[in-house]
Amino acid sequence: MLSVDERWNLIEKISKKTIKFGKYRHTLKDALAEITVKPLTGIPVAIAVLYGFWAFFGAFAGFFTDGFLVKLFDVHWLPWLQEVFPVGKNSWLYYIFVGDPLAENCFEAFGMLTSGLFVAIGVVLPAIVAFYLVLIVLEDSGYLPRLAVLIDTVLHKIGLHGYAIVPSILSLGCNVPACTACRILETKKQRFIMMTLLAIFIPCGAQLGIMLEVIPETVGWVILYLLIGYFILGFILNKIIPGKSPELLLDIPPYQKPMLGNVGRKLWMRTSSFFTMAVPFVLLGVIVVNVLYLTGVIDWLATGLSPLLSGWFGVPKETVGPLIAAFLRKDLAVAQLSAIQMTKYQMITSVVLVSIYFPCVATFVMLLREGGGKGLLGSLAALVLTVFLYGGLLHLIWIVLGVA
Amino acid sequence: MKNIFGSLYFSIFGLFVLGLGIAELIIGITGRSFTWSILEISGEFLLWRGLILFFAGLFYLSSVKNLAEIHHLAKNVMASVMIWIIAGMQIFATITESIPGGEEGGWINTWEDFLSTYSPPYIPSLILLPFSLVTIYYIYARKKT
Repeated sequence: MLSVDERWNLIEKISKKTIKFGKYRHTLKDALAEITVKPLTGIPVAIAVLYGFWAFFGAFAGFFTDGFLVKLFDVHWLPWLQEVFPVGKNSWLYYIFVGDPLAENCFEAFGMLTSGLFVAIGVVLPAIVAFYLVLIVLEDSGYLPRLAVLIDTVLHKIGLHGYAIVPSILSLGCNVPACTACRILETKKQRFIMMTLLAIFIPCGAQLGIMLEVIPETVGWVILYLLIGYFILGFILNKIIPGKSPELLLDIPPYQKPMLGNVGRKLWMRTSSFFTMAVPFVLLGVIVVNVLYLTGVIDWLATGLSPLLSGWFGVPKETVGPLIAAFLRKDLAVAQLSAIQMTKYQMITSVVLVSIYFPCVATFVMLLREGGGKGLLGSLAALVLTVFLYGGLLHLIWIVLGVA
Repeated sequence: MKNIFGSLYFSIFGLFVLGLGIAELIIGITGRSFTWSILEISGEFLLWRGLILFFAGLFYLSSVKNLAEIHHLAKNVMASVMIWIIAGMQIFATITESIPGGEEGGWINTWEDFLSTYSPPYIPSLILLPFSLVTIYYIYARKKT
């Protein structure tokens, strides 16, 4: 047994042998790391990184979806299925599984084996792979913690801190892991604000992929509108929700080259878990919506909700179908919107409504699990009010601009 | 001597980058497009690209005072990285666009169409890309000292 002095002596001996003392010379890596956390230089760098993120996402997803998968599904899969499906074109089974017999593409058909598979494999899969690939590279390179530091001041205005960027960015992939990631926030208030904001204002990767297909030229405006809403609602919630918002203490790792093996493993893990969860919901969503159409429930709801949809939000009453589908899968709902006749501005409003309206069922379950019944009810109350006001505001903007 | 050359080179280059950034911003705001010889200022994300080039130009100009100093060199490197991000993504997008056969064609593009995807005009960042690579020399020169 060593005495305290003997221990210290031993420590000194070991440290003399193992540690090299001298003046630390600032390396280029250190200087680059400083640049990315200082607001004056860090914000332009963040803009460049986010541009790279988005440009890669669009090019990668576009390559697979527009380059090959649209052709595979529209030119080969859909006509083949329409021809060989064993049940008559007037039967309800045909309607549920193949959809519209006159459809010329998988977006319009809306059958489980046509639109369902196309949305899940043709659109969502490339988008999700692209999203997670870039996210993992940013994580493993050490940029993400720097982004957290950079955005800390802004997020404090809405009761959160820099680490809230992790669930926010994760939510751009899928809201489900993002809800779990809210655990890194210290207080109940912070977790409630974060979960409510991500459930309402952050579109998931699948939804972004579909948006790029359906409204490519206006997707930037939709995201900007959602981003503004994210901060407005966050600011209001921070003012009315009691509780504390502590400061951020964060250990920033040095920049390093991501390891290919780790990137591959993480990508596989995230994509496969997302996919096993998403595909059943997409397919189930198509079945449920088709059954509701067949039984006349959608028509009944469309007529009943017509004053709200057409009068308040300024969108066609037919959007009630996609809004129901949105509860199961939001990407599916956006895809369904593309088949409805409407103006560009109505389409933007509809896509915003689908985004901010009820979270998908998987997120709903996560909200309940992470926030409890009270938290879920609170989030839903904020959501209903936000949809009503924010959707109406967008309609008002179109009226003022004279395009409604 | 090499730092004087570097300062002079990046002063001129920084002004070019800044100018092209401002041009992209103006054309992006007015919603027009501009083509001159192999240069084309148009396309997706024009405002964003302009904003990034604008900041990259400022970074270059603020780095020229003393390129041998690590913090100035870091700004220079970061400016080049910003150009590499835009140019790299443009190259990646061109490659992904050149391979598939298009809506009416086959699965893979024809040789002529494949090659024509790579023909000019190019966005400003692509033209600036080779000139920004000079930064790599200064990174290695610093490593040697």
